[in-house]
Amino acid sequence: MPKEEEGALSIYRVLDLADIKGTYCTKLLADQGAEVIKIERPKGGCPTRNIPPFAGDVPHIEKSLYFLYRNANKYGITLDLELPDGKYLFKKLVKTADVLVETYPPGYMTSLGLHYEVLKEVNPKLIMASITEFGQSGPYRDWKGSSIVHSALSTTMISSGFAEEAPVNLPGTPSYDAASIIAAISIMAALYQRATTDVGQYCDVSVHECSRLGLYPWMVTIYSYALTPDGPPPAPEGRLGASIYPVYPCKDGFIRVVALTPRQWEGLVRVLGEPEVLRLSEWQDFIYRIANAADLYALMMEFTTKYTMAELFEAGHREGIPIVPIYDIADFVNSPHTKAREYFVEMDHPVVGKFDYPGPPYKWTETPCRTRRPAPCLGEHNEKIYCQELGLSKDDLAALRQTEAI
Amino acid sequence: MSKAPLEGIGVISFGTGAVIPDFGKILGEFGADVIKIESRENLDFMRTIGPDMNNIHGFNESNRSKRSFGVNLKTEKGKELVKELIKIADIVGENFRGGVMESLGFDYENVRQIKPEIIYISSQGFGKGSPYSEYQAYGPMLAAASGLLYLWAHPEDPYPVGANVPIPDHIASKQAVFAVLAALDYRRRTGKGQFIDMSQVEVAASLIGEYYLDYSINKRVPKAVGNRNPYAAPHNCYRCRGDDQWCAISVFTNDEWHRFCHAIGNPDWTKNPKFADTVSRLRNVDELDRLVEEWTIERDPTEVMNTLQAAGVAAGMAQRAVDTINDPQLKWMNALIELDHPVAGKRLYPNIPFRMSNTTLPPSRPAPLLGQHTEEICRELLRMSPEEIQRLKEEKVLDTA
Repeated sequence: MPKEEEGALSIYRVLDLADIKGTYCTKLLADQGAEVIKIERPKGGCPTRNIPPFAGDVPHIEKSLYFLYRNANKYGITLDLELPDGKYLFKKLVKTADVLVETYPPGYMTSLGLHYEVLKEVNPKLIMASITEFGQSGPYRDWKGSSIVHSALSTTMISSGFAEEAPVNLPGTPSYDAASIIAAISIMAALYQRATTDVGQYCDVSVHECSRLGLYPWMVTIYSYALTPDGPPPAPEGRLGASIYPVYPCKDGFIRVVALTPRQWEGLVRVLGEPEVLRLSEWQDFIYRIANAADLYALMMEFTTKYTMAELFEAGHREGIPIVPIYDIADFVNSPHTKAREYFVEMDHPVVGKFDYPGPPYKWTETPCRTRRPAPCLGEHNEKIYCQELGLSKDDLAALRQTEAI
Repeated sequence: MSKAPLEGIGVISFGTGAVIPDFGKILGEFGADVIKIESRENLDFMRTIGPDMNNIHGFNESNRSKRSFGVNLKTEKGKELVKELIKIADIVGENFRGGVMESLGFDYENVRQIKPEIIYISSQGFGKGSPYSEYQAYGPMLAAASGLLYLWAHPEDPYPVGANVPIPDHIASKQAVFAVLAALDYRRRTGKGQFIDMSQVEVAASLIGEYYLDYSINKRVPKAVGNRNPYAAPHNCYRCRGDDQWCAISVFTNDEWHRFCHAIGNPDWTKNPKFADTVSRLRNVDELDRLVEEWTIERDPTEVMNTLQAAGVAAGMAQRAVDTINDPQLKWMNALIELDHPVAGKRLYPNIPFRMSNTTLPPSRPAPLLGQHTEEICRELLRMSPEEIQRLKEEKVLDTA
């Protein structure tokens, strides 16, 4: 495979058998230049190809926005692992690979005869990561998950939204992305270790466990610190999003304010023109402000609505009080920040056409980390991988298509 | 079994708050020697949110498995000592406000002069080159600036508030760990270090990439949908018996729908054609949610969750901390560990969240007291005499516990 640019991980080959739980894991590796080969079932491909919305709102396996975003920089082939030819070719691929990421339910790879104990015989240096909803073992092993279910279990939702209403789910699939990043960390640690030991290993990653680590690992620790021996249990966590990090209306939208310290509060009062009513000493107390958030909101909006989001953002910086506009998607895309950082990159997808694509969240000085190529169409790189890499002939490929192995 | 993956790797952490502290903690749990640079003159702000700086929950969670080097960076001698530590380190991490490391003389350009192969990660709210690169920023603001917070609301909410949770801080810390491990692997092969300029607003953005594509391709500004899902119903967080008790339920396929109906005892309404398939259920979703809640409100969330999961339907209660502590699966996985901290005593912390078949990680260590390891670092790494250490303590260059 041609190496277009030297990324930090461009010497590695990664096999991707991941659905919604792990597509972001292999994207992280691909963004660093690893050659990620997404292996999809011939009929319909990866289930994430069916996640709406679609480009042009037309359901189509090449047009899922979720799939397009999380599979950029990968190559794509088809293979039916349940057929003998499929298993044979998969093992040939495993022989050449450094990493395998799979997200099937516990036991499925074993039922195919493609579990770690078998694959490590094929390639002892293989690092295999399994990402499952609840883990490879344990009482919830066979439980079903979804993004909202993991958000709820993660302890994040119970403190979300306004009191009295239903806790509110996060956008996207943050629990799956958290598990993906954590799986990528374990894979990197295993690769780094392999350089000295020369053997691979198996990593078991549970979305249920990772979701709280990625979203809010402090919840249990905070509770535990509030426990006193023989004392009453700590008060339950309230819905404090609006009072700890208050939101106020302004001329053209809303702002969020982080005034944790007395100095930050004083800065906020200066930004708003030092109104007498905000200079009352009780408002200087953070805990008092949380307890009286509704009263404070009513007071504040008289002053905050005199300004635009941009004016308050600027003034906050000047006065040492963190204030930020609540942007919608268009505001962020069109903000000076994304232009200056060249966060969006235009790419040309054979079915969807040219569009602006979000990049990785960091810039690297030595090894470029960026979006290089759009997500693969189903089976797009079959010839490239099977013929050029595994040495199959075009006739072999035709025969495999005939039997629906690819 | 072999030694810990990062044994022998030195990390200098100029961290504050959540991102770089949590990053350093994870490297420490992998066996790296992580040294936190701090002093009474320049406290990690998480040490200041309670009366005793050594007894703060969030601080003591995010700073486990590292050593504290109490050194005053406002003194020339203090800076010299840190330079000596950097010379024998592999990784530097920092997340002060943009411009602070430059003013201290420890930005990448300066650090690479003394250690060319250093791997250096900066994690700022916006990042280098942004018009807001020097703006002070906390996680909840970056959720707001990325558009994520705008989408984290019910459609009828007057404005979005998110939760008492600093998203994306703990995603950013893991992104940073992944990045330096990739950079470390590259350095192992080439000898070259580098600078990684991470932007936390872009970390928040990375969680919702498909929404930007919706704007770019479909020319649409996505709106908050709360707990609903445009292609699944029931899909919500339903009120259960008890005070502020809830359970999330999601039904994506018709097979799951039939399992759901069976699990709740096939009440008559489930046979209504209005709910026969996903399209119909979505069309009548308000009524559907009301009927589902008639069932959930009579049961506590654990019963709702267990009943539905036993039938093969995805369901999960909105856990509080105490529910996490009692969660049978998390218990099975040893997801929580108890550590004995010299000031805080025995408290619970999250464990490393994955199992590796051929790697043994060292036991987690409690967070350091401010300056707890100053003297041993001076002796062992900087080869200083007891007299010199004493003198620098008196000159207020060094802080000790």
